[in-house]
Amino acid sequence: MTLLQLEDVGVRFGGLQALQGVDLEVKQGEIFGLLGPNGAGKTTLFNVISGLTAPSSGTVRWRGASLDGLSSHRIARLGIARTFQNLRLFSSMSCLENVLVGLHQHASQQPLAALLQTQSFRRRESQLQQQALALLDLFQLEDTAHQDAASLSYGDRRRLEIARALASRPQLLLLDEPAAGMNPSEKDELRELIRRIRDQFKLTVLIIEHHVPLMLGLCDRLAVLNFGQRIALGSPDQVRRDPAVIEAYLGGGA
Amino acid sequence: MDAGLLEQMLLGALLGLSVYLPLRCGQLSLATPGFFAIGGTVAALLSTRVPALAGSGSTYPITSVLLEMALAALLTGVLALGLGRVVLRLRGIYLAIATIALVEILRVVTLNLEFTGGALGIFGIPQPFDSAAGYAAFTLALLALICWLCDRLEKNRPGRAMAAIRDDELAAASQGINTADTKLLAFVLSALVAGITGVVAAHFLNSWNAKLGNFDASITTLAFVVFGGSRTWLGPVFGGLLLTALPELLRPVGDLRLIVFGAVILVGPLFFPKGVITPELFKSFKRRIRGTPTAAAQGVKP
Repeated sequence: MTLLQLEDVGVRFGGLQALQGVDLEVKQGEIFGLLGPNGAGKTTLFNVISGLTAPSSGTVRWRGASLDGLSSHRIARLGIARTFQNLRLFSSMSCLENVLVGLHQHASQQPLAALLQTQSFRRRESQLQQQALALLDLFQLEDTAHQDAASLSYGDRRRLEIARALASRPQLLLLDEPAAGMNPSEKDELRELIRRIRDQFKLTVLIIEHHVPLMLGLCDRLAVLNFGQRIALGSPDQVRRDPAVIEAYLGGGA
Repeated sequence: MDAGLLEQMLLGALLGLSVYLPLRCGQLSLATPGFFAIGGTVAALLSTRVPALAGSGSTYPITSVLLEMALAALLTGVLALGLGRVVLRLRGIYLAIATIALVEILRVVTLNLEFTGGALGIFGIPQPFDSAAGYAAFTLALLALICWLCDRLEKNRPGRAMAAIRDDELAAASQGINTADTKLLAFVLSALVAGITGVVAAHFLNSWNAKLGNFDASITTLAFVVFGGSRTWLGPVFGGLLLTALPELLRPVGDLRLIVFGAVILVGPLFFPKGVITPELFKSFKRRIRGTPTAAAQGVKP
């Protein structure tokens, strides 16, 4: 079943055509990779899906319904969560609070109960805390739960951002270069982790990553972008042999 | 200590909280004196022009003061709701400029309207309390109530959403937080606090005029928060109390007092960039009370 569908999506920033006529279909449950050289428009595509950038042309559909004109918090509540290429954690908050912010968006709002700290409110609040700790546990961050997010190591911050994204209980998770700055063994762990959370949370994953071997080993299908256009689409094997991909990555005549 | 000074300090703390609420959300709004002036004008007009509110006793009834507060809150709340939708689209310094403009517009309008007494203002505002101590007790109760509400706000969902927006508005929106509504909530709460503070101030000062809500007040109230800190409600309360008292306490040094006052405001951010009162301060305080650092506070499992 098609979860996310991009139809002829184009984005123009002044004179720069960042994306042009991109068609994509992401099916439920798959890990779909986006490859492409720097400046190919991958992050712009994520920004369009998550509502941070409005497409100049074309439409994004979520379960068949258009996302046109929806603000990013509405899109997030529909079940699309993302991480950022340059890490955007809530740096003055603890790891636990970072995750709690996401969890809260699914709990019903009860201002009066919160004000009076009723028994049922406190019980529910401690349930949310337990859920948040469980999520941190999954990413081996339970020991740093009460530390400021800014104090974590780079790799831990990357993992915390994924944990935070999962807290909003998404159906589609957009990962923007999750392995950036990680060493080879961390990359291997990350690959297993992405598979595991896909199965455990019944997720669909759309992932941008430059590390080609990681992507070929992880993704069910891949699309390759170059200069804002989709130049290839298919299984890892198909993409690896595609002449247009070889041309884009290695230059003509290679 | 002089009860009159105490009353001024408590009013300063309330105004500090009013500036703090949008700042906790990362929004630099300087509109507080504007809403303060509206509250004061409402109180001055109602208590001097509406005989029914005066009651039969020798002092002005407190129920009438509460009624003025409710009306001031309604007026400032509705105004903030409408204005906030527009001005909160601006960011950073542009929001500050727009809110300064609001304060100036209100000041000039009050200055030129017949029924607000023009440049002279309104005199002879009736007194609900016989002494400054009565005012101080009333204001202390009000401050305690608002601090309690702020505490609840901070420790719960809206407070976390506000902090998330301050840290990273884009990421907050991507987590499903309605950033526009959350910022509006902070702005409206700020206006309510300033409005009801204005009501108390009008009675205490006995007269009210346009000068009480001017640009100088914007900067002074901002200094309360910059000095005290904008991470918890205790920061602006501390800043408001201390910086209101300081010019009075420094009276013996004569003309030097303004220089000392300026130096404190300058040195504060240099040595305490997050303000004097920060969450870290509480943590280290707790640790000191317990003796040794606990495993939980360090985030390390035994």
